[in-house]
Amino acid sequence: MKTCLNFDDLLQINRPQIDEMQRVGESFPDPNSPSACEAFTQQVRLVEGLLRQTYRVAVALTKKTEDLREIAEIWSHMSDFCNSTLQALVSLKHPYPYCGTPQLYDLALDYKLACDKRHRGVLEEITCQSTEFPKGLFPEKI
Amino acid sequence: MPEHGVPEGVISREDLAKLAALFDRSEYALDPLSLSAKEAESQFEDEVLMLFRERVEPHYSSISFTVFRCKVRSLCRAYLRQNSP
Repeated sequence: MKTCLNFDDLLQINRPQIDEMQRVGESFPDPNSPSACEAFTQQVRLVEGLLRQTYRVAVALTKKTEDLREIAEIWSHMSDFCNSTLQALVSLKHPYPYCGTPQLYDLALDYKLACDKRHRGVLEEITCQSTEFPKGLFPEKI
Repeated sequence: MPEHGVPEGVISREDLAKLAALFDRSEYALDPLSLSAKEAESQFEDEVLMLFRERVEPHYSSISFTVFRCKVRSLCRAYLRQNSP
C-alpha cells in the first residue's frame, strides 16, 4: 500500500481529542464529583498518550527528512500541538487538581520546550548552511 | 588510516561517529525528558566544545563556536541518515 499520511494530517486527526478533553471537562457542573473526575481522568490519559505518540512520530519524521526547513516545520507544528494542549488545560487544571491534570500540563509544557529547542537548533543550522568551511576540517566522506 | 584513501579531516570520521551517536540519543530521543536523552545532550555539548577548543580554535580563527556547532549538528544528521540500519 502506497497511501501515506504526512505530519499535518496526523495533527489534524489528533487535535479533536484535545477539544474532546476540554468539552468533557467543562460539561460537569460539579468537577469535584467522582464521576466528573473519572470521566476527565480518562480524557487526560488519552491526550497524554496522544501527545507522547505524536512526539515520537515527529522524531521519526525529522530523522528521515533531509530538508532542514521541513524539519523546522515539523518541530514548529509539534510545538503548536503541545500549546493547544496547554491552552485547553489552563482553565481545567484548577477545577480538576486530582485527575492527572497538573501532570499532563507539566508534560505538555516540557514537550513544548523540547520542540522549541529542536526548532531553534534547526533554524541555526539553516542559517549556517551558506558558511564555507576550510577543506580538511571535516571528513570528506561520512 | 583513512578508508579507501579518502583524506580524513581535523575532525575525523570516528569523531563524527561518536558525536552522531550522542546526537541520536538526544535529538532523536523518543522521550525527550528521559535521563538518557539529557545525559547524551550534555555529553554532546561537552564533546563539541572540547573539539572546538583543542582542534579548531587554535588553527581556524575565522570559525566561531556557534558556526562550528551548527555544522557538526548537520553532519550528525547526515551521518545518521546514511549509516542507520
